[in-house]
Amino acid sequence: MSRALALTAAAVLAFLHLPLAVLTVFSFNASRFTVWEGFSFKWYAALAQDTRLIEGAWNSLLIAAAATIFATAAGTLCAYGLWKRRAPLLTGTLYLSLVTPEIVTGVSLLAFYQFLFRYLDIRLGMHTVILAHVTFSVAFVVVVVLARLRTMDATLEEAAMDLGATEWGAFFRVTLPALLPAVAASALLVFTLSFDDYVITSLVAGVDSETLPMVIYAMARRGVNPAVNAISALIVVGLGFFILAAERLREP
Amino acid sequence: MKRRHLLAAFASLAACRRSLKPRLNVFNWSDYAARDTVPAFERRHGVELRYAVYESNEEMLAKVFSGNSGWDIVFPASSLIGPMRENGLLSPIDRSQLPNLANLDPRFRHPPWDPQLEWCVPYMWGASGILYTRKLNPPPRRWADLWDPRLGGRITMLDDPPDAIGAALKKLGFPLNSTNPAELDAARAELLKQKPLVRAYLNAEARDQVVSGDLLAAQMWATTARQAMDAAPHLAFAYPEEGFSLYADCAVVLKESRRHELAHRFMNYLLEPETAAAVVTECLTATANAAAQRLLPPSLRDDPVLYPSPEVMNRGEWLQALPPAAQRLRDRIWTIVKSS
Amino acid sequence: MWTKVRFWTLAPSRLLMGLLFAAPLCIVAAYSLLTRGAYGGQSPPWTFESYARLLDPLYAAILFRSLWIAALSTALCLLLGFPLALFISRSAKRKNLYLQLVMLPFWTSFLVRTYAWMFLLRDTGLINTILQSLGLIREPLPLLYNEWAVVVGLVYGYLPFMVLPLFATLERIDPNLLEAAADLGARDTDTLFRIIVPLAMPGIVAGCVLVFIPCLGAYLTPDLLGGGKSMMAGNLVQNQFTNARDWPFGSAASLTLMAMVMLALAWLARRQKGDLL
Repeated sequence: MSRALALTAAAVLAFLHLPLAVLTVFSFNASRFTVWEGFSFKWYAALAQDTRLIEGAWNSLLIAAAATIFATAAGTLCAYGLWKRRAPLLTGTLYLSLVTPEIVTGVSLLAFYQFLFRYLDIRLGMHTVILAHVTFSVAFVVVVVLARLRTMDATLEEAAMDLGATEWGAFFRVTLPALLPAVAASALLVFTLSFDDYVITSLVAGVDSETLPMVIYAMARRGVNPAVNAISALIVVGLGFFILAAERLREP
Repeated sequence: MKRRHLLAAFASLAACRRSLKPRLNVFNWSDYAARDTVPAFERRHGVELRYAVYESNEEMLAKVFSGNSGWDIVFPASSLIGPMRENGLLSPIDRSQLPNLANLDPRFRHPPWDPQLEWCVPYMWGASGILYTRKLNPPPRRWADLWDPRLGGRITMLDDPPDAIGAALKKLGFPLNSTNPAELDAARAELLKQKPLVRAYLNAEARDQVVSGDLLAAQMWATTARQAMDAAPHLAFAYPEEGFSLYADCAVVLKESRRHELAHRFMNYLLEPETAAAVVTECLTATANAAAQRLLPPSLRDDPVLYPSPEVMNRGEWLQALPPAAQRLRDRIWTIVKSS
Repeated sequence: MWTKVRFWTLAPSRLLMGLLFAAPLCIVAAYSLLTRGAYGGQSPPWTFESYARLLDPLYAAILFRSLWIAALSTALCLLLGFPLALFISRSAKRKNLYLQLVMLPFWTSFLVRTYAWMFLLRDTGLINTILQSLGLIREPLPLLYNEWAVVVGLVYGYLPFMVLPLFATLERIDPNLLEAAADLGARDTDTLFRIIVPLAMPGIVAGCVLVFIPCLGAYLTPDLLGGGKSMMAGNLVQNQFTNARDWPFGSAASLTLMAMVMLALAWLARRQKGDLL
């Protein structure tokens, strides 16, 4: 069983990483099309000069980091509250946000922002993108965290409170530690959703908040662009090393 | 604590970005500026230019429709000038600030979508036709060749209703901008007949697969085709005999802009022959600027794909904005074609 | 005391969802009752016409195709995601590493990944080339531009949405429980279906919901991997907001779709005795 399981898991991971291998290989292709014409570093050289891509990547990282922190915090608290007692209206709204097609979320938010901007002196920018990302990802956090809470024993908290813990104390000392894997998983999900979002972002982004997916779409909507492959490969390899290093540090 | 740090970082970042130089925000198609187009303007006038790009009219329109997008200049296709003006999105052009308008090709001085150039300045233009591999013998010459079973499963049509429906209309000898339900219905039947032969409805993504040989022919925009041919000499492009669509991407100043003077200075700069010629040389596009065309190296100036002969051009028809009823009928036809 | 805690746990989400989701959605609801202007945009008169247009059988066909493709993709996601999540939840030390490996591909652009799939699946692509050079096939298989390619793309694109909630619940299962079952002579399949699956049910439901819903609204995958030949609900909505510039109809179509999915979810929640969320 466990060997079969490991093999299946390896196969699924391979399925997930196959396209990465392909785009990494093509980032070294001399041709600008997906026809192999020899090895070349020229797309990486082109990348180093492209300030738009670098600025976009930086914007995306900032937005994703902020969205992850806010959405994970709000979503975890919300899941906890909903676990304790039902709140049909909020639950319904959260589900509704999950079933809303991206373009509708984007268009409606843009219309709403524009309406607000008539009365307030603000413009589209990083803040509007972050707020949009937090909004569309809270429901994901709630679903993932709540799925874990459902498997947990509610009496544990009661026991803690019988022993004198306050409500918040019970939450922070007893429930939250047991929730951490789900919180981490949902944070990972939010970061990824935010980092990769194009439809909503392109609608609510301002003049100065071009994100990486926006730059990439503009560069690659006409077909494969090896420079885009190159930056994708760099991000994956870079983050991969970061993950491995972090893992090393955690293990004594 | 962490959160506060992050907020502080954001605030300082936002503050840094506010520079004191006057700034112009320009939203243009990708591939419509040379590497030095923007920096040279910034240097010359001591201003800052925020230049970003988009890939479809709809993407740009969704943003500027609300009238509070932050952009000063955008480049809609000619068929959108009317609708954008009707919706109060455009600010009139002040021709006295654009002496370089004299450089425009006569064809673009009184274009059908804006005869007196009151609202827009034509920048680049293009057409749709057939990109094919030279292996194909005989080569496609007409839209009807894309209905040839010989090419079965190895062609693509554009995923763009005006162009795909337009090709069917032209094949039948009807006008490109037809609003006649009977003609449109005939076009629908043509497209459904063609569908089994069509591998996919794709836009520029088809380019890669014509290069690799998966596809023998694809309906494609001339400029995109020309860029592909530059890197893959085994490709060729045909302007179909039945006629084809033409469009022009034009610079407009948005009504929301508060920098009209600077916006005009930038448009005038784009109209300089040297500026436009540099863009064409680097990006392989077709400029509406006759003076710039004269500056091009002969190989580009006489390129039959970018600048077809007057006889070919006579077959072209400008895409127009259509009345709502026709637009809705076309949308329904497109939905039927794509979902059958 | 609890009411106070409850207030503060729910307040941020209430504020966020009310202000930045529900209020904007009301604008879209208003759009759906307006009329498309002559050149796009929306204006009075107020009318239900956009909803009436949806009664066209054409749109029912699109809906059924979308439901079928989304359901198939969700099932495949579960089939692939469950073993992976189980494996990760059981690996003692490397949990985080594996989890991050699952997410790693998704830190590249969706568009770029889709192009990679186009290369893998096309006639002159990697899979066909390998099969041909091995002599297994003569003519390239038509892998790209059909509904199967769409399913592959969707499964690939939304697998993490399945794996993460599954992992979050599977990880809770006490290994001692499984050992005890084995000690009592339970076979692996018994343990799996009688103990693990029932305990992981909240995660399975959450994962299926998280995958099914975005599959229904997907539009780039059907366009690029399906070749735009079999329109799905997501494409219909997207087209109305972009190409057709008919926002009232796009709003009506999306609200109707959302209402149907919500009804299905409510039904599911009732069957689960309100435990869905």
